[in-house]
Amino acid sequence: MVEKVKTIEDVCCPFCGTLCDDLEVDVDLKTNQVVEVRNGCQIGTKKYFAANPSDHRYTKPLIRKDGEHVEVSWDEAIDKAADILVKAQRPLLYGFSSTECEAQSRGVELAEMLNALLDNTASVCHGPSLLAIQDVGASLATLGEIKNRADTIIFWGSNPVHAHPRHLSRYSDFIRGYFRTDGRNDRNIIVVDPRYTHTAQIADKYIKVNPNEDYELIQAIRAVLRGSDLDVKEVSGVSIEDIKELVETLKSCNFGVVFFGMGLTQSLGHHRNVDTAIRLVAELNDYTKFLLIPMRGHYNVAGANQVFLWNTGYAYSIDFSRGYPRYNPGEFSSVDLLMRDEVDASLIVASDPGSNFPAASVKNLFKHPLIAIEPHKTPTSAFADVVLPAAIAGIECEGTAYRMDRVPLRLRKVREAPGETLSDNEILERLIEKVKEKLGE
Amino acid sequence: MDEIKLKIKKKLEFPLEADNITPDNFAGKTVAEIKKIPLYYATKKVKIGDFFDVSGKSTEVANTKIIIDGDLSNVKRIGEKMTGGEIEINSAVGMHVGNYMSGGKIVVHGNADDWAGAMLQGGELEINGDAGHYVGSAYRGFWQGMKNGIIKVKGKVGVESMLWAKSSKPANKWPTLYCGSADSFLGIHNHGGTIVVEGNVDRCAGADQAWGNIVIKGKISRILPSYKKVGEVKEVQLPNGEVIKGKFIEYSGDHTIKKETNGRLYVAA
Amino acid sequence: MSMTNLILLTGRTISQGVALEGGKASRENVRAAGICTFDADDFKKLDCIVGTPVKVITDYGEVIVYSTITEEGPHPGIIFIPMGPWANQLVNPGSQGCGTPTYKGIQAKVEVVKNGKVLGAIELIGQLKEA
Repeated sequence: MVEKVKTIEDVCCPFCGTLCDDLEVDVDLKTNQVVEVRNGCQIGTKKYFAANPSDHRYTKPLIRKDGEHVEVSWDEAIDKAADILVKAQRPLLYGFSSTECEAQSRGVELAEMLNALLDNTASVCHGPSLLAIQDVGASLATLGEIKNRADTIIFWGSNPVHAHPRHLSRYSDFIRGYFRTDGRNDRNIIVVDPRYTHTAQIADKYIKVNPNEDYELIQAIRAVLRGSDLDVKEVSGVSIEDIKELVETLKSCNFGVVFFGMGLTQSLGHHRNVDTAIRLVAELNDYTKFLLIPMRGHYNVAGANQVFLWNTGYAYSIDFSRGYPRYNPGEFSSVDLLMRDEVDASLIVASDPGSNFPAASVKNLFKHPLIAIEPHKTPTSAFADVVLPAAIAGIECEGTAYRMDRVPLRLRKVREAPGETLSDNEILERLIEKVKEKLGE
Repeated sequence: MDEIKLKIKKKLEFPLEADNITPDNFAGKTVAEIKKIPLYYATKKVKIGDFFDVSGKSTEVANTKIIIDGDLSNVKRIGEKMTGGEIEINSAVGMHVGNYMSGGKIVVHGNADDWAGAMLQGGELEINGDAGHYVGSAYRGFWQGMKNGIIKVKGKVGVESMLWAKSSKPANKWPTLYCGSADSFLGIHNHGGTIVVEGNVDRCAGADQAWGNIVIKGKISRILPSYKKVGEVKEVQLPNGEVIKGKFIEYSGDHTIKKETNGRLYVAA
Repeated sequence: MSMTNLILLTGRTISQGVALEGGKASRENVRAAGICTFDADDFKKLDCIVGTPVKVITDYGEVIVYSTITEEGPHPGIIFIPMGPWANQLVNPGSQGCGTPTYKGIQAKVEVVKNGKVLGAIELIGQLKEA
């Protein structure tokens, strides 16, 4: 009996920071196409199907000639890319969040060789969380601890129903845990958000906070927790009575956790919103057990932070221009650099700043040579001067990824890489060799 | 003062890092020697002579006055770690001006970019324009920032100015910021710094203040709920000996840190 | 019809996530992310039907997107555009020195533009590339 479809089990999904490790993928052996995905959420499932051949999947290297993308050989594309990088005076290597750790390590190596700027998507996402942790520490945990112990879960500025679809069913809400044997009924879910999100709609308590006023609300909660009577009747749209009730709920729970997201990091105050949230969690440990976990967006942005950290001492927004790594978000962060038009060439890996950066910064990004290491046609790669077609990590090549709680998991290869695509790791290795050659090493 | 004059002679496409432009590095050197002092431009190590015309000389650090002309808005780290002497900058200046300075005086006749006077240990930094974010603040990961010295900004200071400022009563060190107006999170994580604002201030002034004094002669857009009204005063006595006259409402805070605190915020009545 | 004094929030939706994986150049992506979601009562003030193109304007730019009514309200005074190329025409690129732009909480106003054209992602971002 000839096998027509192969099933790969325990597959790690390469989409969001929940990094679900229980997917099952069926691949048609004859056509090498994904035919079914089980256990994944809508987005993860779609990512596997989108790996199949299509008009927006790159399979050959491209160089922009006379305004059009023209197919070229790998040698020509790598040569042109290396040329751009070596000739640049202030090159930026950005992205790295949707690929595996070996490739991220190559990125550090290449940035150091070029005395370049090195950054990953944390810069526009949870960078503020890292800044806050550097100032005031953090009481973290793994998701397994939450699943087994947490009876009070707060989602602050985070909407997992939309952004981390299986988080609630695998770790934070509906699942039965060792000490939470009745699952959902053993947990108290609180959502703080300016909108009555779909996550808020299935929570036990919803607190509506005014946009850009989260900091004041958390300060009020902390002051009440310290035993102060406040002068005001209402803070950030929340009544003092509700604040006092919340403080009692938090003090009297068995094991609490705050999951927080872009609602804190991308609104005014940024890292200070996270700073005070971390302090609140630490201060609650005078009464009970409380922890917090940032809801990381990309499936391996935490890995990019880890790899950059153990190689350079810093997690993102790094500058090698003086021959050693320096760190300063605001000065060496990608969007700020682009807004000052300080970058004169960029290498974009496993990310899509064209879609996700503010328009004014993308305008400056496009003014200078752009190399994209990317599997699909995106608003970044469509305008790149060189496209280096990548195999998709977690689908077409193996590697390590770090979950939002910094647990490393192994990504599986479920199908062969299509066309002439190479893994991000191999592409970066070839670039490093070529750059070395051109620098005369 | 012995004057050494610098004039920038190139248009900058990238930032120029000028941490070696200090009275400490220039005193007692000839023009030829000064021209050889290294600076950093994008990824290249360059020399002062490549970017500046130089004239003048001085003997002692304390007597040295460096006057710089031309467009310096993208020149970073001027005056870094200086211990004495003076620098006068006749234009807007880039990031990190006067960082880690412990003595002497810098005057900027224009705006200053972010991190002006960061980690100040002493001396005086005067900015006759607006300043960017993080004026007189700590660098990333440091939990003690400005420890002494005076920063005067005529215009507005950006967010998180005086972050992690730390005073010392036994050592008689009172890090102080005077400014025209301020953006949000002024004096955040204050541990004894003194701040006097002539005009208005945005939200979250004094956030997580352990102790210190912030005096606002204008209005505050929204006072933190963790601050509590103490009363009204006719003048404010600052720990550095200065007295600010006027009617102020006195608030204690930040009560997120302590139930009873010596931290104070004064807002004009 | 128009509305002023709105606050713009941006963020993830599951449809936008599915669409971006399905192809950023696709019509699916436009329908998922080239939209502006209104509070139900606010939408009545616009006096138009769901799907009518609206121009959203902030201090940082403007863009035409399809209007729709929220399933995550009520949130009077707040409009929501999913993260992506359309939202990023409007957000504040300034990070206040911390590195991360201010993608949420931006003052905005909205005008109904019945014959407005909602561009695809590649075309919209293509406008940022000078010839």
